[in-house]
Amino acid sequence: MRSQSPLHLSVKIILLGVLDAAVVWAGVGLATQAAYALLSLLLLGATGLNIAILSRRAYPLRYLLPGLVFLVGMVVYPILYNIYISFTNLQTGNLLQKSQVVQLLDGRYAPAPDETTYTYQAYLNDKNDLLLLLTDEQGNHFLSRGESLEALAPDDPRFVTQDGSVGLDVAGYQPVTGAGIYQLLPRLEALAIPTDGLYLRLSGVRQFRTAIKQYRYDPKADRLVDLETGVSYTPVDGRFTSADGKAIEPGFQTWVGLRNFVTIFSSAAIGKDFLRVFLWTVVWATLSVFFSFSLGLSFALLLNDRTLRLRLVYRTLLLVPYVMPVFISAFVWRGMFNENFGIFNRILGDLFNVQVPWLTNAMWARASLIIINVWLTFPYMMLISLGALQSIPDQLYEAARVDGAGAWRRFWTVTLPLLMISLAPLLIGAFAFAFNNFTLIYLVTAGRPAVLGAATPAGATDILISWTYRISFQGGSGNNYGLASAISILIFFMIATISAIGFRMSRHLEEVYG
Amino acid sequence: MKKLLLLVLIVALAGVVGAAQAKLTIFADDTRTPLLRDLGAQFTADTGVEVEVVEYAWNDLRSAYVTSTQAGEGPDIVIGAHDWLGEYVANGLVEPIDLGKKAADFSQAALEAFTVNGQLYGMPYASENLALVYDKALVPTPPRTWDELLAICRAVTDPEKPLYGLAFQNQAGNFYQFFPFLSAGGGYIFGYDDKGAVNPCDVGIATDGAIFGATLYQSMLDEGLIPSGVDWDTLNALVEGHNAAMYITGPWLIDAIKKAGIDYGITQIPPIKGPNGAYNVPKVFTGVQGFMVNSFSENKTIAMDFLMNYIGTTDTMVALMNLGNRAPAYLPAVAQAGPDILAFSQQAAFGVPMPSIPAMASVWQEGGNALDLINNGTDPATALKQAQDLILTAVDCK
Repeated sequence: MRSQSPLHLSVKIILLGVLDAAVVWAGVGLATQAAYALLSLLLLGATGLNIAILSRRAYPLRYLLPGLVFLVGMVVYPILYNIYISFTNLQTGNLLQKSQVVQLLDGRYAPAPDETTYTYQAYLNDKNDLLLLLTDEQGNHFLSRGESLEALAPDDPRFVTQDGSVGLDVAGYQPVTGAGIYQLLPRLEALAIPTDGLYLRLSGVRQFRTAIKQYRYDPKADRLVDLETGVSYTPVDGRFTSADGKAIEPGFQTWVGLRNFVTIFSSAAIGKDFLRVFLWTVVWATLSVFFSFSLGLSFALLLNDRTLRLRLVYRTLLLVPYVMPVFISAFVWRGMFNENFGIFNRILGDLFNVQVPWLTNAMWARASLIIINVWLTFPYMMLISLGALQSIPDQLYEAARVDGAGAWRRFWTVTLPLLMISLAPLLIGAFAFAFNNFTLIYLVTAGRPAVLGAATPAGATDILISWTYRISFQGGSGNNYGLASAISILIFFMIATISAIGFRMSRHLEEVYG
Repeated sequence: MKKLLLLVLIVALAGVVGAAQAKLTIFADDTRTPLLRDLGAQFTADTGVEVEVVEYAWNDLRSAYVTSTQAGEGPDIVIGAHDWLGEYVANGLVEPIDLGKKAADFSQAALEAFTVNGQLYGMPYASENLALVYDKALVPTPPRTWDELLAICRAVTDPEKPLYGLAFQNQAGNFYQFFPFLSAGGGYIFGYDDKGAVNPCDVGIATDGAIFGATLYQSMLDEGLIPSGVDWDTLNALVEGHNAAMYITGPWLIDAIKKAGIDYGITQIPPIKGPNGAYNVPKVFTGVQGFMVNSFSENKTIAMDFLMNYIGTTDTMVALMNLGNRAPAYLPAVAQAGPDILAFSQQAAFGVPMPSIPAMASVWQEGGNALDLINNGTDPATALKQAQDLILTAVDCK
C-alpha cells in the first residue's frame, strides 16, 4: 500500500474525529437514558470502525463494518428480541414493565373519607428549595418543605400579615406568583406530605387535599401491601396476587418459559384448523411461484430475441406491475373483483350473463389471490430470467441444432437446466416470500371468506402468518404478542426446512449440469 | 491530545439531566390538531406553559399512544374513542379523572361510555351513531315501520339501473354496521352480572331475536333489495351514482351525500315487528370520543387545568362539533347543533355504547365472520351460534 499524502491523512483524521465526537455525544445521551443495549452496539461499531481505518491490516474492512453494525442492529437484534418475547407473556393486561406497574400502584391515592382542602402559597430560594404555606378551611396555617407538616402558631415570627393577606417571611425565600406557579406544578404534583396517617396531595392548580395512600411496595420482600385492608400481594405470573387469588390490574410482562409453545401444541382448536391453513399456504406459495415464473420466463424468452422491434418499450411496460406499490395495486384489484360493481363481473354480466363470486366464494377467492400475485411478481421473474439467459453460451444451442433438436427440445434440455442452476435459489427465496406474504392476503381478503366449522378465526384464504395475526391480535382479549412470537418462530422452522430441502435439490442440479 | 480535549468538551456539553418540566404534550388526529394548537397558544399566553400537539392519523393514534407510553415517552393528553378504554385501562395507561361539578354539563350516556369499573377515564366531547339516511327524491315520506321500509324497497329496487332500496356497509367483517339487525329482536353483546358490571361470559348474539333479525337481513339480500359486498369505497360509489334510496350510515357519509347533490333526510331506523307481534326499535352502537389523561404523565394537574378551562367550554365544544359533524357530549353546545346532528341524536336515544372490555376484540372478529357466512348463504342460526361458541372459547369462558 503506497504511503498516504498529507492531505489524504489529514482528511481521514478530521472525518474520524467528527465521527468519534458524534459517537461520544450519542453515547452519553444513550447512557443517561439507560439504553445499554444500543450503547454497547454503538461503542462496538465505533471501536471497530476506528481500528479498521487506523490500522493498515484491517483497512479493507472499513466498508464492511457499517453494514455489519446495521445488520446486527436492525435484523439480528429484532430476531433475538422476537425469540425473547415468545418466552414471555407480553399481551394486553401484561404490557408494562414491572417497575412501571410498581410506580403506578405505589403512586395511587384515594380521596380521604372526610377530606380537608388546603390552599397554599409557594416560596423558592435561589438554591431552588421549596417552602409551602398551607392554610386549611378553618384558617389554621402550616409550614412545609415537602417532607413534613409543621403547624404555625399565629404569633410565629416567620408568619406575616400584610393588608389582610398572610404570607411567610423567611430569609432568602421569594414568593412564587402568577405564571411561576404553573412551572412549579410538576414538582408539587410529585409531593405527598404526610400528616396524621394521611397525605396531602396536590388537587387542582390552587389546592392540596388529604388523601389515603392505597398501596405500599416493599422492594426487599417484593411485596405490595394494601394499606387499607392489610392484604399483601406478591407477583405471580405477571400480576400482583393475594393469597386467596385476587389479582390487581394492571399486570406486567414476565418470563413464562415454554407456556406459549405448550398452548399452541395442546390447543385442539389450533390443531383442527392448522392442516387446512398449512396446506393452502404451501399450495398458494407453490402455485404463485410456478405461474409467475412461467409467465416471466415466457416473456424473457420472447424479449431475448434481438431482432424484435420496440423490445425496450415492451420490457419497460411489462415492468409496471413490479414498480407499483402493493398497497395501491391490491386495493385496485379488490375493487375490480367486487362481485356487484367490479369491472370483471360487469363485463362478464354483459357478455355471458354470469356473475363470478370472485372474493366471496372460497375457491374463487383463492384463484383471485393467485391471479393478483402472479400479476405483481412476474416482472421480477422476467428480469432475473433475462439476466440468466445471457449466461447460456450460444455454442450449446448450435450443437443441439446440429444434433437435430427442435425448439421445445432445446428449451427443455439446454435452457431450463442451465437456468435452474442460477435461478433455483431465487425461486426458493420467492417461495419463502410468498409463504409469508401477509400484506397481499390482508389487503385483498383479510383471510376471508369465513369457513363454517372453523375452531379459530381461520378463513378460506388465510395463510399461516395472517392466521397468526387474527388469533393473536384480533381475537381473545386484546393483543397477545407472546403467542404471536411463538407461532412466528414455528413458521420460521417450517420455511427453513422447506428451503433447506430446496437448496439441497438445487445443489444436486449443479453437480449434474454445472 | 487534541482528541482528548474534544472528548472532554463533548462529555461536558452532554448529559442533560431530565427534571420534570412544566410542558403539555397532546396526541391528536389531523382534524382536531389545528384547533388544539390554537387553544395551546392561548394556554401558553395565559400560563407560560409550553403546549406541543403531535399529529397522527386517526387509525394510527390508538397504537401510537400505547407504544409511546410503554416506552415512557407518552403524551399528557390523548384524543381517543371510548372503546379503546378496554385496552388502555387493562394496561394501566390512563388516569381516572374527576370532573367535579362540571360533570353535570355532560350527557349521562357519554360519561357512562367513558366509565370503566365505576371510574371516569376521560372528558367526552362527541358521540356518533348510525341512523337511516334517505333520498327525498325517491322516498318522499320516511318509513315509520320496517314493513313500510320493505314496501318502499320493493317498489324502488331495479337491478338494471342499478337501484337498490337499502344500502349499508355489509362487507364481510363489518359487524358494527350489522348490529342493528341483531339488536332489534333482543340480541345483545354482553350481559351484566348482578353487580352491574359487564359479564363477558354472557354473550347474546345468537338469541332467537338476533337470529330473527339476521334471517330478515338475509331474505332482503336474497331478494336483491340490499346490495352485497359493500365496503366504504363501494358505498361512496353508490352515493355518487344515486344508486340507493336509503342508507344506514353515520355522520361520516353526510359530506359525500351533500356533494352528490342528494336531497337527504335523516330519521330513526324504523322498528321491526318481531315474531311475537311486538315492535322493537333496532339499537345502534354509539361511539363516544373524548380526551384522556396519561397515568404516567408528570403534568396531570396542568393537563386537567387545560381540559377543564380550555376544552370544557361552550366555544371549544361547538368548534369541535363543527369540525367533526358529530353530536356534542357537552350539553350547552347542543343548542347550537345543526338539524343533521339533532336527527342523529334522535337515534342515539336507542343507542348502546360499544362495550370497551378487551373481550370485545373477539366479538368484532367472530361477529364479522358470522356476517361473512350469512352473506354467503349460510343459515343465520348456524353462523351466529358458531360465532357465539368461538367468542366464548376465545375469552376462556368455556
